[in-house]
Amino acid sequence: MIAALGIGLLALLTLSIPVGIVLFLLGIGVDHFYSFFPLIKALGRMIWSSSNSATLIAIPFFVLLGEVLVRSGVAASTYSALDKLFSWLPGGLVHANIATSTLFSATSGSSVATAATVSTVAMPQAKALNYDPRLFSGAIAAGGTLGIMIPPSINLIVYGFLTQSSIPQLFLAGLLPGLILALGFILITALICYYKPHLGGARRLFSLDERIRAVFALLPILLLFAAIVGSIYLGIATPTEAAAVGVFGAVVIAASFGEISRSILHESVIGTIKVTSMIMLIILGASFLNFTLASAGLGQKLDSFFTGLGLSTYGTLAVIILMYIVLGMFIETLSLMVVTIPIVVPLIIALDFNVIWFGILMIVLVEMALITPPVGLNLYVVQSARKEGKLAEVMIGAAPYVLVMALMIILLILIPDIALYLPEKLANR
Amino acid sequence: MERLISWVDRVNRWVVSSLGLLLWAGVALVIVDILLRQINLSFGGTDEISGYLMAVVTAWGMGYTLTKLGHIRIEILRARLGDRYKSLLDLISIITLTGVVSLIATKAWPVVATTLANSSTANTPLETPLWIVQVPWFAGWVWFSIVSWIYSLAAIRFYVQAESEKMSQIAGPTESLEEGL
Repeated sequence: MIAALGIGLLALLTLSIPVGIVLFLLGIGVDHFYSFFPLIKALGRMIWSSSNSATLIAIPFFVLLGEVLVRSGVAASTYSALDKLFSWLPGGLVHANIATSTLFSATSGSSVATAATVSTVAMPQAKALNYDPRLFSGAIAAGGTLGIMIPPSINLIVYGFLTQSSIPQLFLAGLLPGLILALGFILITALICYYKPHLGGARRLFSLDERIRAVFALLPILLLFAAIVGSIYLGIATPTEAAAVGVFGAVVIAASFGEISRSILHESVIGTIKVTSMIMLIILGASFLNFTLASAGLGQKLDSFFTGLGLSTYGTLAVIILMYIVLGMFIETLSLMVVTIPIVVPLIIALDFNVIWFGILMIVLVEMALITPPVGLNLYVVQSARKEGKLAEVMIGAAPYVLVMALMIILLILIPDIALYLPEKLANR
Repeated sequence: MERLISWVDRVNRWVVSSLGLLLWAGVALVIVDILLRQINLSFGGTDEISGYLMAVVTAWGMGYTLTKLGHIRIEILRARLGDRYKSLLDLISIITLTGVVSLIATKAWPVVATTLANSSTANTPLETPLWIVQVPWFAGWVWFSIVSWIYSLAAIRFYVQAESEKMSQIAGPTESLEEGL
């Protein structure tokens, strides 16, 4: 069954059938060939109960939040503020790229939108200040990936929903690794530009006055982020409530610092509906596949499959990681997560790994997928925004950041507490 | 065929505008509930109502997303093929989608039918009569399958006529990338 499933999955995906539909087809197949009861009868009820969810509505709320901030121009002003704060470092503007991407994708939860916004704002400056186009664009692509790790993250909501684990705990688990990754990115940029100053462009110093004003310009966004994460952490708000308040905050920030109009609000909400439906078709497909696989006794089969391979616990983990790296070259983040969760997570549980910890590990792995060729979504987004040069330049520029991610994966396996310390504190309160 | 597609577009424009209002209303509802809770006035049905909103918004949004080429496909093979084969994959993809979505819509009906027959209410303090929310939810999936049938028929026609340009417009590669810019 496992082999049939894997081959079927890859074949159907290669035929470019929409990912959500592929998951439904596999579910129907599993039901037909391996299940004792005809589960297809329950399809309607299952779709109703999965989509009627007060948890999942956090997804459109967070998407809406990001759409409002990006469309109202707040993202662009954040970039110039961060530029003033970071441009004294070796690598100058490159740090602003990473910091904006981190902050922004963190508040909006969307990697692609962030990478697109930052590259549109940043590229003209890079040219004027003579930055190396490879490092510069690679940093944007890499920075944009952090958004799916640092809470609020839509990917973590999806993971929590499909594995029935706590979303607040996942959010907390992502916080430290996300910040460490961001620091790692900044560190490696500074190192590269310290040893190869010609890559870094002109360093500029802004007056103290300008920098203080930059801090004030950042305050609203930072407060919004702190309010969302803080209220979830303190247990005052569910992720859905925090997201709704976040949307309200975003509209207020947009009204005071950017431009806001009925048409911007309208475009934001329509963009949100499109993204949400896209995500939901995949989630519903995965829920159905989950459901059929569980009833066909997948857990046991996987267990005996891997026991048959004679691998140790960590050997199996290594196989799983390798699989993500290979699949990640061809399949994108959310799809990659969702198509693998029904198969991999039961195995992870059988191996006695922590599900929250694995969620974070999986996020780093799919982040890597975003910036590794041949199919790295963020690489393409940055490339299409800069409208010149070759895609290969972005790929080379992103390579140092892939290295940082690889180190992060090793670190997470050696010291699981990087992810688990904060959620365990929450659980023990 | 073009007229049918532009009819779908017109209906969808109306649909997403309404969904947009529903979503903004959902945001407002959750915020009002948080505020009311501070003065111990919460009516306690917010979770339930936002769940219904989510079900209805997703069901109706699916068809719109299809017409905007928003449902993610893995295009690694497609991108390397000639126009004729690209169109073939697009055709297979839209027809498969139509089949699955029609199946879902068919299987959604018994859910609504049971609710109607038993006049079921939600097992919650609000005791919402479920048909009020399940009928619009079901209608959303029916609309998704109608849209996909129309697009499939158009795709068959464009394939037969070898109109790869038109084919790509209605059933081509995922467009989420350009949208983000």
